[in-house]
Amino acid sequence: MTAAIASSARALGVEIRTNAAVDKVIVRGGRATGAALANGDELTARVVMSAADPKRSFLQFVDQQHFPDEFVQAIRDFRVRGSSGKVNIALSGLPDFTCLPGEGPLHRGAISISPSIEYVERAYDDAKYGNFSRQPYMDIIIPSMIDRDMAPPGHHVMSCFVQYAPYDVEGGWDDAKKEAFGETVISTIEKYAPNIRQVIVGKQVITPQDIERIAGITGGNIFHGELLLHQLFFMRPAPQWADFRTPLPGYYFGAAGAHPGGGVMGAAGRMAATEILKDWQ
Amino acid sequence: MTNPDILIVGAGHNGLVAAAYLAKAGKKVLVLEQRATAGGQLAGATLASGATVPGLHPAGQLRPAIVKELDLARHGLTTSAADAPYVSALPDGGLLRLVSSANDTATIEAIRRLSPRDAGRWPEFVGFMNRAAAFLDAAYSTNMPRLPRIELRADGLPLASLALQLRRMGGKDMFRVMRSLSMSAVELTEEWFESETLNAAIAGVAIHGVTLGSMSAGTGFTLIHNWLNRGGLAHRTSTGGPQGLTEALVKAVLANGGEIRTGAGVAQILVEHQRVLGVRLESGEEIKASTVVSEADPRRTLLGLVGAPELPPEFVWQTQSIRMRGSVAKLIVRTDGRHGLPDGTVAIAPTLRYLERAYDSTKYGEMSQDPYLEVTTLGADVMVHFQFATYALRNADWGSMRPELEKRALDTLALHFPAFKGSIQSVQSITPVDLEQIVGPDRRRPQSRPADPRPDFLHAAVAGLVESPHPDRRPVSLRFGPAWRWRHQWHPGSQRGAPVAEGLAFCGLGGATRCEAKRHAAAARWPPPRPTTDSSRAPPASG
Ligand SMILES: Cc1cc2nc3c(=O)[nH]c(=O)nc-3n(C[C@H](O)[C@H](O)[C@H](O)COP(=O)(O)OP(=O)(O)OC[C@H]3O[C@@H](n4cnc5c(N)ncnc54)[C@H](O)[C@@H]3O)c2cc1C
Ligand SMILES: Cc1cc2nc3c(=O)[nH]c(=O)nc-3n(C[C@H](O)[C@H](O)[C@H](O)COP(=O)(O)OP(=O)(O)OC[C@H]3O[C@@H](n4cnc5c(N)ncnc54)[C@H](O)[C@@H]3O)c2cc1C
Repeated sequence: MTAAIASSARALGVEIRTNAAVDKVIVRGGRATGAALANGDELTARVVMSAADPKRSFLQFVDQQHFPDEFVQAIRDFRVRGSSGKVNIALSGLPDFTCLPGEGPLHRGAISISPSIEYVERAYDDAKYGNFSRQPYMDIIIPSMIDRDMAPPGHHVMSCFVQYAPYDVEGGWDDAKKEAFGETVISTIEKYAPNIRQVIVGKQVITPQDIERIAGITGGNIFHGELLLHQLFFMRPAPQWADFRTPLPGYYFGAAGAHPGGGVMGAAGRMAATEILKDWQ
Repeated sequence: MTNPDILIVGAGHNGLVAAAYLAKAGKKVLVLEQRATAGGQLAGATLASGATVPGLHPAGQLRPAIVKELDLARHGLTTSAADAPYVSALPDGGLLRLVSSANDTATIEAIRRLSPRDAGRWPEFVGFMNRAAAFLDAAYSTNMPRLPRIELRADGLPLASLALQLRRMGGKDMFRVMRSLSMSAVELTEEWFESETLNAAIAGVAIHGVTLGSMSAGTGFTLIHNWLNRGGLAHRTSTGGPQGLTEALVKAVLANGGEIRTGAGVAQILVEHQRVLGVRLESGEEIKASTVVSEADPRRTLLGLVGAPELPPEFVWQTQSIRMRGSVAKLIVRTDGRHGLPDGTVAIAPTLRYLERAYDSTKYGEMSQDPYLEVTTLGADVMVHFQFATYALRNADWGSMRPELEKRALDTLALHFPAFKGSIQSVQSITPVDLEQIVGPDRRRPQSRPADPRPDFLHAAVAGLVESPHPDRRPVSLRFGPAWRWRHQWHPGSQRGAPVAEGLAFCGLGGATRCEAKRHAAAARWPPPRPTTDSSRAPPASG
């Protein structure tokens, strides 16, 4: 999907520069006039749009003096508690689930570990007090069942989306904590697919802090900010600034932290582009 | 009374308010109350043990407009004391004493010791809460439309004026109010203050009376709701207490020519061809009337008194889905007066996590190990409000858990007030099951272990995200849950008559969710414009 969008953009004349981290948005005469990169390069442009998360976009890229206090406060109050982790597992064979033994349609579908409402609620309770879930809710897929190129023949990749793994886990995320989290995930799967340990050949544990580091999202919140009613629609990312404009002329905002929020939709990007064109006189 | 126009089932304060307004409008109103006394949850009670308790809660205030319009001052209702303190007992033995006023210097000084920044924000917070509560007050006296239909004059104008009121608050407050409603108490308080002690004290009020935790979405709304009902964080007790309120209302009903019969439990609301005919009492006596107003809770009214066979299946399902999770217990402790408790409303709500853990237990059918308590004193009497004591205990029943309830409450209090235990002379506890029996059990169910309805004293959980049932301004239909569903099914072109029962209206908390009962009186205004072929069945014309 990414390749297709990038290719479409290039075909229309867009240039994409990777390894080009933005340090600051350049402001001159009360307008955004370009971006200063971390490597010292400065680029000028008539319009700058941030597709990073709101905290970076408004508290890091731009000096606070360019925004009204109320706006800065609203962005500070914007909740970005990351709470999902990820465990990717490389397998030498398929997990055999006791509920549906043998290879079957479930291996091609979505596998949910959410046996009861109470189970899911208790998983959440742990996170409320700063711990990862002792018995986590999991959303598992085995993409190599669909895309055979992802693993050698007979081998598979199992992607486990895990809740809850709080960003600011009590005591912090160190190697031991990460290992314990991975182990919890595997022993949970083992209850449903007892052969899992025999087929594991490798695993990768990703915490919200890793998501923050890898994907550049403050708080490691996969939606660039929680999907809470009070920070959605005309209040995302801040009341009065949900139309992709920002208090800084020439500076636009069009990512998951904007209306209509996170998830792979492309809606924010599309609407932001439309609004930028409206202002283009 | 012969040939009453209107029967009201239940003499709780909402039933009495509706009765007074209707009687004032010249209707012949008869109130039927199953208990020996009027007042509903505001009245005292005799427990199964034979012990009597003076009242179930310390305070309660009617909306000022009701006090005025029913002239309750003339009927003996006194005004409440303002600026009562709200006191949070802290783990270190200290007390955080808050007066819900923007310029109480002692309060600001007390907060300053926790956080100078918070002390600076307190006046703004109090101002905001008062304005938010005022907006809620306006919303509570606005009739809600029967969506999806909106009648321009009847619904549109009141709603537009409400929206205008919100808009007039100015951008900042408007957004704050809108955001606060769906927030959790933790989110709301953390936007204002950094001191967890202060936030937890406030969050206690937010979760008071609801089966939600301080981290649950919607407790921002319940904070504003309780702030409105209390006039701040603390209860404001009036002389005579809730009992005085009931007495004034009873006098207002009688003075306007209404009649109240106690010991008159309604067993059935009589319905024929979706038209209300009257009621049958438990004694077997039948009383005819073209309008019946119920203030029993929605489930009991519809499934118990009307009966599922009379209702559209979809509607029965919606009624069954109304959340009524009771989780409050109560202790009334008689002491020798040397209990050592301060005046005002005392809360045991030391940290946000403490409150949240107290709530967690109720999700799994347990009683809080370390409960959230709210305590008020009346001389030597100490009234303890205990959350969370879930009605539906999972591995125990309230018959055997009573000693444990008392122990946990008293131990928790003693931790903060060392003199308390030594001062105790007697303890009476009210479990959620007792509460249900006091405020009216569903008598058609075995008493031993009723599964349903559960005693939610707000008659259906008040939470921002829970749909509350509400009455129509016309008594021809009751609406619970998303009305459009059954309207489409049962009301095509309005020709089929009422979906539930014509002539049945609703005035309890399940209908209003609060003490605003004025509009329920208006709800019974006749006639509903309705095509009818049988004129003898048509409701009487309005006076
Ligand atoms: C583990 C996980 C599982 C998910 N599951 C699903 C799912 O099943 N379904 C679904 O719909 N969504 C899912 N999501 C959410 C979805 O991926 C995101 O909401 C969405 O990709 C956000 O898109 P975006 O374009 O707004 O931002 P992003 O994709 O986060 O892009 C932001 C970009 O900005 C870059 N950036 C940040 N700072 C700078 C800087 N200073 N200079 C230059 N570049 C910078 C980042 O490197 C990044 O490339 C998941 C996310 C995660 C992490
Ligand atoms: C422990 C406790 C603490 C509370 N604390 C507060 C507080 O601090 N502040 C606050 O504002 N509110 C508080 N409340 C809630 C408040 O008391 C109630 O929400 C309110 O009193 C409900 O009033 P009502 O008139 O709608 O119904 P109720 O008072 O419940 O009255 C219903 C009446 O209907 C009668 N009835 C039921 N079925 C029948 C029948 N079949 N036939 C005849 N009669 C019938 C009942 O006997 C009862 O008298 C508290 C409640 C409790 C129990």
